[in-house]
Amino acid sequence: MWSLLLPMSKIVACLYVVITVLCCKVQASSLEDIIEAKEIVIAVYRDYAPFSAQVDGVAVGIDIDIARHIAKTLQVELRLKWITAGETTEDDLRNSIWKGHFLDKTKADVMMRVPYDKVYSQKRDDVGLLVHELVHMFAPYHTETWKIVFNKQKIEEVSTMAVFQYHPVGVEVDSIPQFYLISAFRGSMSKNTHQFPTIVAAVGGMQAGEVDAVMGLRSQITALHHTLNQVQYQLAENAFPLIGKQKWDIGLAVHNDYRALAYELGDIITAMIKDQTMADIFKTHHSTYEQPAYYM
Amino acid sequence: MLKNGKVKALSLSVLVSLAFANTAHAQVTDEDISQDHLSTDQVVTSGMGLKGQRYSTLETINTSTVEDIRPVWSFSLGGEKQRGQESQPMIKNGVMFVTGSYSRVFAIDARTGDELWQYDARLPDGIMPCCDVINRGVALYGDLVIFGTLDAKLVALNKDTGKVVWKKTVEDYKAGYSISAAPIIVKGNVITGIAGGEFGVVGKVRAYNATNGDLVWERPTVEGHMGYLVKDGKKLENGISGGAPGKTWPADLWKTGGAAPWLGGTYDVDTDLLFFGTGNPSPWNSHLRPGDNYFSSSRLAINPDTGEIVWHFQTTPNDGWDYDGVNEVISFDYDDKGKTIKAAATADRNGFFYVLNRENGDFIRGFPFVDKITWAKGLDVNGKPIYDEAHRPGNPMASADGNKGSSVMTAPSFLGGKNWQPMAYSQDTGLFYVPSNEWEMEIWNEPVAYKKGAAYLGAGFTIQSLNEEYIGVLRAIDPKTGETVWRYNNYAPLWGGVLATAGNLVFTGNPEGYLLAFNAKTGEQLYKFNTGSGIVGSPVTWEMDGEQYISVLSGWGGAVPLWGGEVAKRIKDLNQGGSVWTFKLPKKYAEVSSIAKN
Repeated sequence: MWSLLLPMSKIVACLYVVITVLCCKVQASSLEDIIEAKEIVIAVYRDYAPFSAQVDGVAVGIDIDIARHIAKTLQVELRLKWITAGETTEDDLRNSIWKGHFLDKTKADVMMRVPYDKVYSQKRDDVGLLVHELVHMFAPYHTETWKIVFNKQKIEEVSTMAVFQYHPVGVEVDSIPQFYLISAFRGSMSKNTHQFPTIVAAVGGMQAGEVDAVMGLRSQITALHHTLNQVQYQLAENAFPLIGKQKWDIGLAVHNDYRALAYELGDIITAMIKDQTMADIFKTHHSTYEQPAYYM
Repeated sequence: MLKNGKVKALSLSVLVSLAFANTAHAQVTDEDISQDHLSTDQVVTSGMGLKGQRYSTLETINTSTVEDIRPVWSFSLGGEKQRGQESQPMIKNGVMFVTGSYSRVFAIDARTGDELWQYDARLPDGIMPCCDVINRGVALYGDLVIFGTLDAKLVALNKDTGKVVWKKTVEDYKAGYSISAAPIIVKGNVITGIAGGEFGVVGKVRAYNATNGDLVWERPTVEGHMGYLVKDGKKLENGISGGAPGKTWPADLWKTGGAAPWLGGTYDVDTDLLFFGTGNPSPWNSHLRPGDNYFSSSRLAINPDTGEIVWHFQTTPNDGWDYDGVNEVISFDYDDKGKTIKAAATADRNGFFYVLNRENGDFIRGFPFVDKITWAKGLDVNGKPIYDEAHRPGNPMASADGNKGSSVMTAPSFLGGKNWQPMAYSQDTGLFYVPSNEWEMEIWNEPVAYKKGAAYLGAGFTIQSLNEEYIGVLRAIDPKTGETVWRYNNYAPLWGGVLATAGNLVFTGNPEGYLLAFNAKTGEQLYKFNTGSGIVGSPVTWEMDGEQYISVLSGWGGAVPLWGGEVAKRIKDLNQGGSVWTFKLPKKYAEVSSIAKN
């Protein structure tokens, strides 16, 4: 970041300054370093309501509130590192946790919204090495799934997916809902599937009458549903047959070198879940909360 | 006869360049650009001529003298930002303009290697370029140096000061767009494509007034999207690409169809057509989009004045292998039983070399230019691939139960029989010099994948070399017969451009760092020099003060180091860099050659 703010200069002294400033942010920090520096850097996704977004320059969202709670409990300042999502989570972990951003090489101490999935964290690459060797994934903080919101004036009820053989439905491009609606049941819902760049845009499309329903992440769909007319737009309770992964957990990630930090953060998240702080945060953002099985 | 004419033209150009050494026209004109393939004293187009033949009539450096060329200067692009340097140098009036990684531009004294100015684009931290932070060079027009940035802007700089004259946002980088190709200039318009990942972008080619950056036209490269033409400051609808949406796409997938023309284009004055290639369709899973998916993985001929698509030729319909069809289309003429054929050639990522009629896009012939192709059994009479469905990657929904699913082995790999690296065409030998790679890929469904905290169905892949001894192969290919006249095998994959000259030479660079020169007729290697880092740029040649120069950028990077497996093992010890190397013969050769000519 600093290197971009400084004008390019050929003065050696100036380069020195850039390097020295960078040196302290290039590495993620241990718990001791974080406490000593009184600052923790937490990576969150850019433009991703209701999890993390900026409204008039102010950070808001579920992940932001959790990050603030973590910083407060550790008695350190919170600094957010906004990440642009890559094609998959692997890219985001690389850019945020172990290799650093390709422009300025900066890393975060912690990344939010990382899957907590044993099969994923133990995944091996084509030559048999651990893909996430340098990343430790832990502290699941909620359970995610899929959900449909629909326009009651257009569809009486969404009891099964079969209604989408007859009604247009919006999805986010390059997502499981898109793959599912286009290909499941021999493609019988394909012609009614409409792609949007984001779930927010898809819900906008539903309000504009382009589609009669939207399928997306439950926490996103429920939060967006709160902003709509609750009589006209309703949440469906249907199942999603043929989808392999019906539910999954979301947690945190740190660099594998910083297990002590992970233990501390794990304790903070556990306490948040036990004392209902976590459920309250989701409630504040009108998003459905489900506690991960890990704590039961 | 021909030889005589060439010598005369050459000595005239020597005289002209001497006479105007200090007073040469500093401005790049439309005439300069359209005649660049004939001029020897400057390089003002990417491709050394709008056709992109990368051929020079210079012959002082030739098969008998090339062993004596030596570096005269080297210029460091500096900083910690040493990544892939895929730029082609441009030379005008004794000044060289190159771009560097991270959207930087440098003006260099072509005689001494001294820096005149440097421009660094201020890049936002939200950019997500797919394949390294590279740039492939500038366009020159008037007193402007124009280039595209990783955050999808066109920037025009003053050639003397490096100060911004105009800047235009071509697309929103936040939506996944960027620019890495060198723009081209045709009839006063700067024409650019855009690059973008799998974020549901829609490819577009756009023309801007080169002088002030005003939009002239835009042409989406996906069927169903409206094109525009600007008249009197108003953006007017100018026809839907392909006529109507949804003809070759299911559902409304055309809305997010991809097909980014990320490698820029060439232009042919005879037919007055622009030629742009387009990238793979979106989403990546081909089972979701049965149909040809126009105009993904295609070559498009575009009217340079209006942006209308005149013809199209699709190399990989319903692409399921990530075989972008972006590779350059090079116009050339050949004689067929006394008849001149106005042809165009292109070597595709999919491993086939195509010869097309450039007036109407008709398929003349096609043949493999790599040793192994498995995804198709061949081409039919219209040039359409005859698929081998056993080699199409599976439908990830089929493995939604959480199992990995069957894996498929396919050649070539998605990095292509040939990737971005431009080939050259020699007017003397009638051969194309194609920098190709021999590798295959294994692809499997990856049900355990995530994206932005959401479960996802991805694809896992690995790239493997077909041979222990080499991946890269520089081939001399006869476009009339499909015959490979000679080949040079290289241990690492080839990723740099090629240059052919009338000195019966072919130049290219390799990741091992060498600038290499070959006998154009026989393939005999005549020269090599290690530039200290891998070469992934394109060499050029020009004449200055009566001497022939060769220049190339050195700096390893690009897409290859990003992919793992066996290929990564082969290149892991290659060091990064960032420099321009310039070569010539000792001065006495210039004297000898000018005496010989007189």
